[in-house]
Amino acid sequence: MNRFFYPRLAANNLKKNSKTYIPYILACIGTIMMFYNMSFLARAKDIGALSDHRTLRSILSLGSAVIAIFSVIFLFYTNSFLIKRRKKEFGLFNILGMEKKHIAKIMFFETLFVALISLVAGIFIGILLSKLMILLLFKIISFEVSFGFEIPVPSVLSTIVLFSGIFILNLIYNIFQVHLSKPIELLKGGNVGEKEPKTKWILTIVGAVCLGIGYYIALATESPLAALTIFFVAVVLVMIGTYCLFTAGSIALLKILRRNKKYYYKAKHFISVSGMIYRMKQNAVGLSNICILSTAVIIMISTTVSLYAGMEDVLRTRYPRNIIVSASDVSDEMAGKLDAVIAELTAKDNIDQGNVIRYRSMPLITIQNGTDFTVSQTVSYTSENIALIELIPVEYYNKMENKSVSLSGEEVLIYALRGGISGSTINFNGFELSIKESLDSFSLEGEMSAVLANSYYVVVDSVDTINRIYHSLNGNEADMEELSYYYGFDVEKGSDVQINLVRTLNNELSKLSVKGHAEGPEISRDDFLTLYGGLFFLGIFLGLLFIMATVLIIYYKQIAEGYDDRKRFEIMQKVGMSRAEIKKAIQSQVLTVFFLPLAAAVIHIAFAFKVITKLLSVFNLTNIPLFALSTALTILVFSVFYAAVYALTAKTYYKIVS
Amino acid sequence: MTLLEVNNLKKVYTTRFGGNAVQALSNVTFSIEKGEFVAIMGESGSGKTTLLNIVASLDKPTSGEVLLNGKDIATIREKEISAFRRDNLGFVFQDFNLLDTFSIRDNIFLPLVLAGKSYNEMNERLKPIAKRLEIVNILEKYPYEVSGGQKQRTAVARALITKPQLILADEPTGALDSRASDGLLKLFSEINEDGQTILLVTHSIKAASHAKRVLFIKDGEVFHQLYKASMSNEEMYQKISDTLTMIATGGVRNE
Repeated sequence: MNRFFYPRLAANNLKKNSKTYIPYILACIGTIMMFYNMSFLARAKDIGALSDHRTLRSILSLGSAVIAIFSVIFLFYTNSFLIKRRKKEFGLFNILGMEKKHIAKIMFFETLFVALISLVAGIFIGILLSKLMILLLFKIISFEVSFGFEIPVPSVLSTIVLFSGIFILNLIYNIFQVHLSKPIELLKGGNVGEKEPKTKWILTIVGAVCLGIGYYIALATESPLAALTIFFVAVVLVMIGTYCLFTAGSIALLKILRRNKKYYYKAKHFISVSGMIYRMKQNAVGLSNICILSTAVIIMISTTVSLYAGMEDVLRTRYPRNIIVSASDVSDEMAGKLDAVIAELTAKDNIDQGNVIRYRSMPLITIQNGTDFTVSQTVSYTSENIALIELIPVEYYNKMENKSVSLSGEEVLIYALRGGISGSTINFNGFELSIKESLDSFSLEGEMSAVLANSYYVVVDSVDTINRIYHSLNGNEADMEELSYYYGFDVEKGSDVQINLVRTLNNELSKLSVKGHAEGPEISRDDFLTLYGGLFFLGIFLGLLFIMATVLIIYYKQIAEGYDDRKRFEIMQKVGMSRAEIKKAIQSQVLTVFFLPLAAAVIHIAFAFKVITKLLSVFNLTNIPLFALSTALTILVFSVFYAAVYALTAKTYYKIVS
Repeated sequence: MTLLEVNNLKKVYTTRFGGNAVQALSNVTFSIEKGEFVAIMGESGSGKTTLLNIVASLDKPTSGEVLLNGKDIATIREKEISAFRRDNLGFVFQDFNLLDTFSIRDNIFLPLVLAGKSYNEMNERLKPIAKRLEIVNILEKYPYEVSGGQKQRTAVARALITKPQLILADEPTGALDSRASDGLLKLFSEINEDGQTILLVTHSIKAASHAKRVLFIKDGEVFHQLYKASMSNEEMYQKISDTLTMIATGGVRNE
């Protein structure tokens, strides 16, 4: 026998199955390319020049890890689909006298060819695109690119190792599949007379309940801190709900439709409903995968896009003024010195201080229980009733607001930045004060604007009262620090001046050995850009990968169904169904299968919208219209992609069927 | 009254690139009266199935015409051909061609649903047929749950429910055991007694012996025909058998 018999046979097989293998190879090339690029970026020397290159590198490494995990699952899934289609072919080889070890040999060569083509093409295209990728990334984070081209060997190697591993895994799976089955089973392949699926009411109810609870959690969560922890619970519940409802709920629904004689016995519904019952049995898991994947893609892209686009808002929320000096444990004397330093430095550069906020206060971390506030040593950051309180003497309040409010020792003014206090008194571990007024606005909103927990400004008459509150909370032995100091102002001058001012202020602060620092948006802008730009880049990148996967899964599903449906439509044609009717039936069926996951994904997102805005506020993004817009746009773009795939798939499907 | 007339039918298959031409039917002419039960016999490759497909309007002849009630089915437009087939023809196939996704009842309803009939009407039509074919008990079952004979009776019910002018049966006993075959053939005779016209294509002598007339096709032409007249099934069987031997040995009958 010719030495090249097996390789040649393998090559021939690939050619014969090009309709299924070309998309598979393209998917392999695509994932290899993307993995290489991500791993290249995580290692690229150019990134080392960034001030905050660590953050970016860790984001990119995270990205390549996600791609790696995803590649394994995705390529394994696609491969298992391919081998199912080809069982008949191997069965034939088997019956024609080929032993299973020979079939394994053929499979080995097939895998080898696919692996070689994909790895060479994937890495080659990846290397070509890598410069473009880094240009794109640097454009997003507004960073100058250096000239030159780089091919990091570790990236190439890790790509080869990872994907060779995946190919070997697939080969082993395929060989097992063929080994485990008898030739007659191989010949019959997929089309063993399938039973009608049973209605699983319990699973349907479980699904509906999970989905309901998931949605409820998403809607009912108010505090961003709680959102952080509970979001994942909601995600898991919604995922379980999606799987259950797609697998069991859909069949239950279709069977109810079938029971309705008037509806069911119409030419259009008759064929699609009965077909869908079987279709759902085989495809429910695939469809729920698509649904969850689509939801993930849309959420990922829309959040990263809005974070990136809303960065100015984020910076303003995080830094309410251009220049901010904050320090704790500052004595009156030291406060005077700080004022002098700030005045001196701004005067030197001819800087006007605008929108000045200046106050002294005592910050407290407390546990809120209605109007009662206590202190606990075992406070966990996630607990929902945590409350931050800034006690401010009334003199500062009057100065800032240009008012002349006078308070007695038992009276306070309250401004609730987040959360609320209902009632007319406020109680600090037994020390009760009456609320003279709940304020609607407060111009001293400083540091706490970036904080997520319940936060209150409490204006009291004097430092003495602050002392009493402090000791009531912490006991009489506790020693209270001096008040903190907050000084913020806006500056008309450009970025350089601002950055410079923050630097010199920080130098002066350390000279005075004050527990505090100066900060501002300009000096942090690059770091924010790196972080949010990096996330944005990752979002787009992974989004593209997921879209590719979704597209491919759908394509394969439809092809598989096309082969299964061919026989059915042949029979129907013989019984008297016209081509036009068949086309219509196919269209409505494919349409449902296609747009069901997308519709479910959109519903998921609608329910998740509120909780995501809460999560975004953790990243200091509070611009909800911006997020709504970017979500809508993402859904639109995604749907366009989806529709294009639909058109293509419906065409292929129809070709197979007729 | 003549129901079906087939005149000088010719069918030549060519491969896609105009390579070898294969002549499946060279010149077939016959006619079927209303209420007849005609069997067409011939060996594999004699052109039986091609003939049936053309009569069923699933395929177009190269030349010649097929008239159903005097109307040439080749002139029916593509758009109407499905409705025509649905209203005038009933089919029974060797491999049943039932849809796994439908229950037995829904399989029988299929052509009526396609024709847009109401559920009540379908149900009314089904009742006597189901009783007659003894499938009342399995109506709610699915094709993979019933025996071959039951499947084929379902297919017959599906063919009958549209009240077709002509039932076309292609090798209906081919996939059945002998008992189920006997039952089905008896059934065919009975529905023929009721006035249903049947055209049966087969190479089983037993199946053909139930027909009132048997046409023999060889090399794409009608070679011979036999009338049953008052013969019993057994006598007819013998006669068909002799004729086949004669056709196979090439001519002279040795009695």
